[in-house]
Amino acid sequence: MSSAATSIVLAVIVALVKGLLIVIVLATAFAYMTLAERKISARIQLRYGPNRVGPFGFLQPAADGVKLFLKEKAAPEGRDNFLYLLAPALAAAAALFAFSVIPIDQTICIGGTHGAGPLSASCPGGYPLHWDLAHLNIGLLFVLGITSLGVYSIFLGGWASNSKYSLLGALRSSAQLISYEMAVSFALIGPVLLAGSLNLETVVNQQHSLWFVFLQPMGFLLYFTGALAETNRLPFDLPEAESELVAGYHTEYSGMRFGLFFMAEYINMVTVCSIATVMFLGGWMAPFFFLPNWLGPIWFVAKVGLLIFVMMWVRWTFPRLRYDRLMQFGWKVLLPLGLVNLLVTSFFVALK
Amino acid sequence: MTVIFGIAAGLALVGALGVVLSQRTLYSALSLVVNMVSLAVLFLLLDAQFLAAVQIIVYAGAVMVLFVFIIALLSPGAEERVHPLEVRLLLGGLAAVVFTLVIGRLTLNGITVAGNGRLHGGLGPFAPTVVNAHGQVQTLGEQLFTTYLLPFEVTSLLLLVAAVGAVYLSKRRRPLL
Repeated sequence: MSSAATSIVLAVIVALVKGLLIVIVLATAFAYMTLAERKISARIQLRYGPNRVGPFGFLQPAADGVKLFLKEKAAPEGRDNFLYLLAPALAAAAALFAFSVIPIDQTICIGGTHGAGPLSASCPGGYPLHWDLAHLNIGLLFVLGITSLGVYSIFLGGWASNSKYSLLGALRSSAQLISYEMAVSFALIGPVLLAGSLNLETVVNQQHSLWFVFLQPMGFLLYFTGALAETNRLPFDLPEAESELVAGYHTEYSGMRFGLFFMAEYINMVTVCSIATVMFLGGWMAPFFFLPNWLGPIWFVAKVGLLIFVMMWVRWTFPRLRYDRLMQFGWKVLLPLGLVNLLVTSFFVALK
Repeated sequence: MTVIFGIAAGLALVGALGVVLSQRTLYSALSLVVNMVSLAVLFLLLDAQFLAAVQIIVYAGAVMVLFVFIIALLSPGAEERVHPLEVRLLLGGLAAVVFTLVIGRLTLNGITVAGNGRLHGGLGPFAPTVVNAHGQVQTLGEQLFTTYLLPFEVTSLLLLVAAVGAVYLSKRRRPLL
């Protein structure tokens, strides 16, 4: 085989292994996040939470999985069958796909000399092993694009169900996601301006002396608030407000079809928290200078876990917003603040 | 590469045909989404990552979501078919042919067909190697704010006018005094 063909085969194998790892890790994370959510909510409400299956309820996700797979798949009359079945698959696919550009650690150089300095991603003469599945120049835009495609799954699921609750949930969610996507994007431009790159690994490397959360506290708050809305979490979970809409867009789904929507929601949480970690919290960098940097993936997971915990904490603490308030908050508070933040940031970047 | 191109180009064609041939409005809109995403894949194959991302974010992610939103909100019935020989259909076909010819002629600018049937053409000032060396986003940004500043600003003004107009039209009318 020629060297070009070998490198293509190698690239395909590496991509397949990484993809498989991402799917397995994210699916496991989803299973245990459901358990964590139930445990945390129980603690906040002074209950015990699930503790029957296995020690401390650790096998509860497995039991839930079996239940989801074996449940009868009830489906409504008059549905649009193709779109009804497509929607949950699309939701899970988009959620998994978005994670593929997130760097968990810095590039490892196998066999060659590492580029100048520990922060360089170049690897002349060797094989650069990236910790993200797809090493794109425009990683951040990729994530934004894929999450914006995720809207279709929610919308089509609600529309194809032929049920008024589903349709209302779907309409709410599209309006909400479009509104908050603007605010989220504006909040993310701040760190991009500071780093001068859309490549997520470069953005992390630029934070080696100071995390961007200290330079962009406003951007971080705006992003995190917008991210709560993007993932349909309380206090912004209007698309599935159970007191008004039964379960919103997935009312008519049962069994693993519902499970896929559920999985997409939790994986999206992981993705937005990873983006927050990469853009604002220094990615894989150690939180204090005396801690070793080579534990990169562990720091990364710890930061993401902390943010996910905050999301769950918020969910079980705050009441739901009214829908018109939600829209006003998005357009009249988050977006203008994002613009101001962007203006100030550009001003200081231009001065530098 | 060729395989991916085949799949993406095929999907783009299927999507484009679906837009025209589908009876139900929502399926037409969704076919357009398929078409746009396939085009983004084609951009990626041409090493235009930024363009691909923008294609997905702006067209597939924002514009078409709003289209689908409105279609579901108004829930129109099946569209009426027009007779293939009707005037508007013929005019539309004529316009499509003319535009295809014009665009085809433009893409062939500076490209010659060699004896063996292969196409030959010189690289322009924005060849992939040049653009990638400088950074795709950087090159595009610089061009937008220097060479194409006037068209860029005029376009943004146009969008602003459209937004103001939409707000005015959708606002409840109150008597002025």
